[in-house]
Amino acid sequence: MARLSIEHLRKVYGEFTAVDDCSIDIAEGEFLVLLGPSGCGKTTTLRMVAGFIQPTAGKITIGERDVTNLPPWKRNCGLVFQSYALFPHMTVAENVAFGLEMRKVAPADRAARVAEALRLVQLTGFDERYPRQLSGGQQQRVALARALAMEPDVLLLDEPLSNLDAKLRLEVRVQIRDLQRKLGLTTIMVTHDQEEALTMADRLVVMEKGKVRQIGTQRELYEKPADRFVAGFIGRSAFLDGAMAQAGHFRSGGGLDIRCNAPASGPATLALRPERLAIGAEAESCANRFPARVEHVSYLGALLDIDVRLTEQDRILLQLPNRQGAAEPKPGDMITIGWAEDAGLVYPREP
Amino acid sequence: MLVVPATIFVAIGLIGPIAILFRYSLNQFIPGQFMVDGLTIENYVKFFTDAFYLNVLWRTVRVAVVCTIVCLIMGFPLAYVLARTESRFKNLLIMLVVLPLFVGNAVRAAGWMTAFGSKGALNASLMGLGVIDQPLEIMFTETAVIIGIIAVNLPFMVLTLQSVIEGINRNVEEAAFSLGAGPAAMFRRVLWPLAMPGILAGTILTFILAMNAYATPVLLGGPKFQTMGPLVYGQFAQQNNWPFGGAISFILMTATLLLTIAANLIVQRRYR
Repeated sequence: MARLSIEHLRKVYGEFTAVDDCSIDIAEGEFLVLLGPSGCGKTTTLRMVAGFIQPTAGKITIGERDVTNLPPWKRNCGLVFQSYALFPHMTVAENVAFGLEMRKVAPADRAARVAEALRLVQLTGFDERYPRQLSGGQQQRVALARALAMEPDVLLLDEPLSNLDAKLRLEVRVQIRDLQRKLGLTTIMVTHDQEEALTMADRLVVMEKGKVRQIGTQRELYEKPADRFVAGFIGRSAFLDGAMAQAGHFRSGGGLDIRCNAPASGPATLALRPERLAIGAEAESCANRFPARVEHVSYLGALLDIDVRLTEQDRILLQLPNRQGAAEPKPGDMITIGWAEDAGLVYPREP
Repeated sequence: MLVVPATIFVAIGLIGPIAILFRYSLNQFIPGQFMVDGLTIENYVKFFTDAFYLNVLWRTVRVAVVCTIVCLIMGFPLAYVLARTESRFKNLLIMLVVLPLFVGNAVRAAGWMTAFGSKGALNASLMGLGVIDQPLEIMFTETAVIIGIIAVNLPFMVLTLQSVIEGINRNVEEAAFSLGAGPAAMFRRVLWPLAMPGILAGTILTFILAMNAYATPVLLGGPKFQTMGPLVYGQFAQQNNWPFGGAISFILMTATLLLTIAANLIVQRRYR
């Protein structure tokens, strides 16, 4: 297994910059997830690591090997595709043996390694089946076994769960994660599914418009988002536009004076996580306390989503646990909401 | 219900004439009396005992096989590029491949005649450039016929292959690369076997077309270069020997079918 390092990677298509100065270091055995909206450059980055796209600039190193200019077949990257991409004219065993055959592993050793790979994905006994005779989840596990059998330096997963239905997705997700841990495989996965990313990753890379916005653990991304985009993309945030009038005081568009831990600056956006907001009696001890009018209540089972209006310009989303029997706010009610001084995160205003 | 009209049309338009032709081929031909009803295999015996006719059959098969192989070798890369290109000119490129089919066979062969002739465009250019002193003898040779037939058949091969290659998931090729297969190994183990239905359909199509070619061998091969198609026509239209013409037709049809089936079986045994 090897450490993978991506340095100042760029990919430009004519006028369009798909990936812009992307640098990521991945530790041995780490599970890294590239996360972002579609078109953010995460797949392009993965395909550059796999060798299918030649970068415009930058360097990719696997272990001590500079692979930037190597073709895909010399990189030793195990790849799993969204579409499974099994060889339809080969049996499961032949599919899994393909990588070994290409590496000139002796036929006698091949059989043992194919059996071991199939055992890892719990498909022992499926050797002679053809891919079309398997379910989607089984096909993806064969694809995983095929990538694992050749003992890759890094494992690259390109939206591996997106074609599976919800129940299978959970199952295969756990299986991939367990295997990755057990084998200590350095892994990069691309996904647009936040929940998938949060449950599987050791660290996440949030990308947008070809740029790396933030690299960090789930907790770092949620509690200390680097910018407004990350604050809105990972979990939910309520945003208030305004300006940092003076150090520690944010003035909202509707004229509210909000205390927060930030120096004075120009136009700014204040981000609040819904669970940091308190209402009614719980808001009494908060540094920031405002009367608010309930606009809309959505019942989500365990949670209630409540849209409230502080002033004409300032609207906030609250999330309250659904406590049985407790009084529920109704549209039109006036309530008091509050939050601590350190709950508000301030970012420069983005257009 | 909807297949009934087509079925009737095929039955009347195809099987009817073939049956009549087969019946004719068993008749006797007596010069002066045109066709005499009979039940004889003498027309078939005549074909298979005369070195001239066997030679024509052999030449036809040889030309058809060469044309088919060259079409496959030239058509595959072109079909692959057409299938995989993401260019917005893709439809235009496909039109360019189809374009030659807009011009009739005979017209195209006539065009080749002016190009290949001893004072034609090709020889004039080569001699003008000083590459050759004497004009190349291309007209009225097997080479001319082969070039002509390839030009006619290549679009059929390309279109057939292209549609099949388009159905092969690009990721499957990439998976092979990532598993350590170089381009040659990927082609041999993945692309070729997966494209096999298209390769079969394309080769069968071009082979049948080449076996039955008429205008191209007549115009580019000249009177001395006989293949089966013109031979059949000659027996019917010039010699008025319908029984022998019918027999040759049947031999041509059977040879085409047998070779096609044989190729099919060999391929299917190797590639399931």
